[in-house]
Amino acid sequence: MHIPDGYLGPYTYIAMWIIMIPIWYYAGRKLSSELKSRQVPLLALAAAFSFVIMMFNLPLPGGSVGHATGAAIIGIILGPWAGVIAMTVALALQALMFGDGGIWTFAANCFNMAVVMPFSGYYIYKYISGKAPLTSSRRAVSAAIAGYISLVLAAASTGFMFGIQPLLHQSAEGIPLYMPYGLNIALPAMLLQHIFGYSILEAVITALIFGYIQKTDASLLYGEKIIAVDRNSGKSAPA
Amino acid sequence: MIPDWMNNVDLQPGHFSAGRHGKKGFIGKTIEGILGFLEEAFLSESYSKRPGLMQSLDPRVKLLSILAVVFAASMISDLKVLVAIYLLTLLITYLSKIGVGFFIKRVWLFIPIFAGIIAIPMIFNVFLPGDPLYTIIHLGAGAHLGPFSLPESIFITKQGTMAAVIFTMRVATCVSAVVLLFLTTPQQILFKSLRTVGVPKIYVLTLQMTYRYIFLLMEQVREMYIAKKARTIKSRGLIDDQKWVGGRIGYTLIRSLSMSEKVHMAMLSRGFSGEVHIMQEFKMSQRDYLAGAAAISISLVLVLISQDIIRV
Repeated sequence: MHIPDGYLGPYTYIAMWIIMIPIWYYAGRKLSSELKSRQVPLLALAAAFSFVIMMFNLPLPGGSVGHATGAAIIGIILGPWAGVIAMTVALALQALMFGDGGIWTFAANCFNMAVVMPFSGYYIYKYISGKAPLTSSRRAVSAAIAGYISLVLAAASTGFMFGIQPLLHQSAEGIPLYMPYGLNIALPAMLLQHIFGYSILEAVITALIFGYIQKTDASLLYGEKIIAVDRNSGKSAPA
Repeated sequence: MIPDWMNNVDLQPGHFSAGRHGKKGFIGKTIEGILGFLEEAFLSESYSKRPGLMQSLDPRVKLLSILAVVFAASMISDLKVLVAIYLLTLLITYLSKIGVGFFIKRVWLFIPIFAGIIAIPMIFNVFLPGDPLYTIIHLGAGAHLGPFSLPESIFITKQGTMAAVIFTMRVATCVSAVVLLFLTTPQQILFKSLRTVGVPKIYVLTLQMTYRYIFLLMEQVREMYIAKKARTIKSRGLIDDQKWVGGRIGYTLIRSLSMSEKVHMAMLSRGFSGEVHIMQEFKMSQRDYLAGAAAISISLVLVLISQDIIRV
């Protein structure tokens, strides 16, 4: 889902920078007032975790393996705004270390994976879990649904960006200059492979991580700090 | 004082080997992925220390130049011009003492090949009408595939092929420029140079810290998988293994959050007040200005070409 440079035309990627800059600015303001001096280490470790989560291979039926993006669980646990920054930093590292995702398309990638995913993930989880107790299975199910839908939404947003390219950029002879397929092809192509593939995996992994956190230290969940006993109790997690 | 031998940098790319893992299950693949990551990181670090053209330039100039060139390349839709920029990146690669073969492989391996695969359908007239170049099959009038009606014959079009080649070439050129940037700049310095394009200090520091802790977390993940492998005689069922992975990710998350607390306290005890200072150690020399001016004027010319103001 990382869009490289050259897939999107300048109108689209510049528009995405214009959308993303206020989002980053607001997230930064909000976090520095909430987290104060804790901001840098917390976000750095959260971003490092978002980066590392992709290294965990999950065994799949048929002997293949897969991994998750983890953006939804980051949103659920750190809250959507911290999720925005943590994912942005992780995406920046992927672009600057491996060329995974372009530099001009960076804002577009951040919109799909660092805004759409943590936000939809967090709010879907919040909405479905309602007032269920922290350790209830309803919450784990909501996390799974949040993981599933958030990835589908991110895929839809990516497919939409691809699909509008032939409308925006064509040569005089009507030949598309960037991503060549219109919405009628790009959107279903992105959606189908996620609805029946990656999103299921994302849902499973989100639920598994959530289940573990629930069992081990439910006080880590964003917005549930009232019942938090001691933030350092993470130490006692079984190794 | 640091002894000389510690300052010496081995410029040869190292090779990380996971050893044989027999049949590669999810454990073997994870360990291999992590070692691959480390190998890649050390490799680009070793390239960035070589005495070459790009390495000798100020990182801020490099960043702005590459941004300008990638922007210009993303506007160009003339194949000749794109090939020219691509060849220019290869020339700079050579002058920066990076193996050109390695560079081409590194660039093409993932992204442009993938772009090429995406572009393949568009060479057929089914997706993009155009003049026939090579007819594959003649279906006759009224042919259809399920609910879709097909054109009389399926052929490869001239326009479609051209558009597909330009699309792939543009992606390859842009990726080459970015790969060139990060292969020739040590990561920490590259992050610092982001200040020039307006990234706030606090995020430069966050990026630098993230980069450091990634290696620590990677090592922890590798140890978990190796420990699991060492204790596995007969693999448990799929569900149990999946649960194990989910638990390890959750555990890594808990550990990183509690580590962030400890790091925070360690920072406070060393006088961190929340205000970020970054040492400014870059110095621009005449050749930096020269290189920057050259890159930006090339990009400007390219943009003018793309707008048909200059004709080639």
